[in-house]
Amino acid sequence: MVEKKKKRLSKVFDYLKHEDPFAKGVAFCAGCPLELLVRFIPQVLGNDIVITGTPSCSAPVLMGQNTGSWHKLSYYGTLMTGAAANATGLVRYYNRAGIDNTVICFNGDGTAADIGFGNLSGAAERNEPFIYICYDNEGYMNTGIQRSSTTPFGARTTTTQVGVNSRGKNLRRKNLAMIMAMHKIPYAATATMSNLEDLAQKLLKAKQIKEKGFCYLHVFCPCPTGWGVGPDMSIELCRKAVKTNYFPLWEALNGNFSFSKQVKKPKPVKEYTKLIKKFNHLSDQELDILQKDIDYEYSIIKAMTKLEKEIK
Amino acid sequence: MKTKLNNKSEVKVMTGNETAALAATLCRPDIVAAYPITPQTEVVEKLAQYHASGKLDAEIINVEGENSAMNSITAASLAGGRVFTATSSWGLVFMYDAILVTAGARAPVVMVNVNRETPGMIAVSSGQQDMISTRDCGWIFLIAEDCQEILDMVIMAYRLAEDHDIQIPVMVHYDGFYLSYMAERVEIPFQKNVDDFLSVLKQQPERTKLMPGELLGCGSHGILGGYMEMRHKHCQAMERAKGKFEQINLEFEKKFNKNYGGQVEEYKLYDADIALLASGSMCGTIKTVIDEKRKHGIKIGLLRLRMFRPFPNEKIVQALKGKKCVGVVDRSLCFGFKHGPICVELRSFLSDIGDTKILSFIDGIANTDIKKDNVKKMIDLIIAGSKGEDVPEVTWVSYDENHGGN
Ligand SMILES: Cc1ncc(C[n+]2csc(CCOP(=O)(O)OP(=O)(O)O)c2C)c(N)n1
Ligand code: SF4
Ligand SMILES: [Mg+2]
Repeated sequence: MVEKKKKRLSKVFDYLKHEDPFAKGVAFCAGCPLELLVRFIPQVLGNDIVITGTPSCSAPVLMGQNTGSWHKLSYYGTLMTGAAANATGLVRYYNRAGIDNTVICFNGDGTAADIGFGNLSGAAERNEPFIYICYDNEGYMNTGIQRSSTTPFGARTTTTQVGVNSRGKNLRRKNLAMIMAMHKIPYAATATMSNLEDLAQKLLKAKQIKEKGFCYLHVFCPCPTGWGVGPDMSIELCRKAVKTNYFPLWEALNGNFSFSKQVKKPKPVKEYTKLIKKFNHLSDQELDILQKDIDYEYSIIKAMTKLEKEIK
Repeated sequence: MKTKLNNKSEVKVMTGNETAALAATLCRPDIVAAYPITPQTEVVEKLAQYHASGKLDAEIINVEGENSAMNSITAASLAGGRVFTATSSWGLVFMYDAILVTAGARAPVVMVNVNRETPGMIAVSSGQQDMISTRDCGWIFLIAEDCQEILDMVIMAYRLAEDHDIQIPVMVHYDGFYLSYMAERVEIPFQKNVDDFLSVLKQQPERTKLMPGELLGCGSHGILGGYMEMRHKHCQAMERAKGKFEQINLEFEKKFNKNYGGQVEEYKLYDADIALLASGSMCGTIKTVIDEKRKHGIKIGLLRLRMFRPFPNEKIVQALKGKKCVGVVDRSLCFGFKHGPICVELRSFLSDIGDTKILSFIDGIANTDIKKDNVKKMIDLIIAGSKGEDVPEVTWVSYDENHGGN
């Protein structure tokens, strides 16, 4: 039993071929899985990447202040509105000048799904050769936990509060990963930190495929502070999200879908929501609406994976 | 002037837009990203045409909007590329957040802005309101008078923006509808001469570039001290740009035999006791009227702004000192002030100029032509003002202010 566990661990570490470019202590909240994610990416892909990003929880650490920096990477911080356009400019110039490059446009859901969505879609349509990673913590966390379009039904945020006139967000979430796959880009995938090998493989795939064009990774990234969970719960939430099909893991190559991990007997979404404060006001009826929404999204992906087989 | 013919490869009749596209092409940009908008659209089409035919060897990014145009070329510029875009009006406003970043990052971007109004969707009409609404963005602003100057100014703009001592983005403005669509005789320089003129930049130290694997962060000004240092240096570079532009103009004259003046052009000002201060395409008409007036013994001259940011206050004060009355023609508004915006700026140096009377003229917005008669009306008021008569401080030349209603 012990031996088996060791083996599993070493498999993840096999992917960490490069130095961790970050300083030991960085300014994320305790237990924020964003820290794991930003440390993981360069360790898998190498430190010779260029990251571009926007104001968000990732920015203070990636950007640094004045001449101080928390890492040894090239980073270009710009505005929420034009993230993908900036990455476009970089990659176009590098390619023209014959400079080897891996440009990663690294943004939160607020930039990706909302205010910077237009230019994300534009870059995907033009098939720009870079990797766009959206870490989805289901809200604008850096400004203090406001709703975004990926905030799920029922969730409490500071702009979808719970009171006599409001029961949290009364609208469904936007499925950005699916929308991006529908651009029929070379590579679109979902990933999360409970399945690190899967994440590493997807990063490496994206690095390879980006030579052919646009790659999009949607990474589910809980926010302990904003969601109301303890700092020890982040990875458990990722795992539960996968196991309940709240966040299914899949990939789509040129619009051909396949599951990266198919959950045999998915648990009810309640098993996931009950761990999180932002859902704790939800009635059974409301949870049912959320469950239906999750089922609906899953059925689409499932249908898409079937479709792929027919095409083949 | 003797060697003039040797300095141009070809003479063509071109619109201002085609000229702008050709000028950019002559400067060999690496990355071009632009989005169509009236009255600039032809620039985008011409660039695409030059690219398709092989005349323009650049990466073209067919962006989904102006905001992305400015963001993408700013990033490409920070990576080390020479870049270009063109826009107008709502396009400029839609890239407003991005142009602030471009300036903040001191990315040596060059663009043209084809001036147009901005009060609402159907305001497809003349005016410099887009320029005025963005004037404090930290860019260098140049204003061309005719098609030839568009070509020459774009070439000079690259020298200015990319100069190691400056490194500030440059926007070349020209009047939409008038210069954008007007076809004029344009002398096109030899590519080799343009290459030579720009090659000076290659001898300068390389600017900092954002490269993969090279520890460099950019985009943030930090806070407190770091922020202030960057801003202060930006302001200083802005001041340096004045002298640098004069120098570039002289070098341009040496190579291409054309001298427009530097930050300002003085037209028959030396012995004038009254003057107009104006910018852009209206200056052609103003010069014609001045010639006529001088035949009747009226000593009037024109001071034409070629550079609007940084504001050439030293040159202006020097040129206007001692004049009895000066009329400033604004093709835009400065809400909250009665006077036009350039007039407001000029008035802040009033104590340096002396007891010159300053009149503000608002004209040429909303597709009203600034005709010779309009200029004559302005000059009549300036003459009256110079004689100490009671004249309004601000005149909307083409509008009857007793129209009624609010
Ligand atoms: C144009 C613009 N509007 C608003 C803001 C303020 N702002 C800073 S971070 C942020 C939220 C970002 O949300 P997301 O991208 O999801 O990143 P997170 O903070 O959740 O990591 C907002 C709205 C901004 N920086 N720029
Ligand atoms: S607010 Fe949330 S996303 Fe932001 S650093 Fe804290 S835990 Fe992470
Ligand atoms: Mg977020």
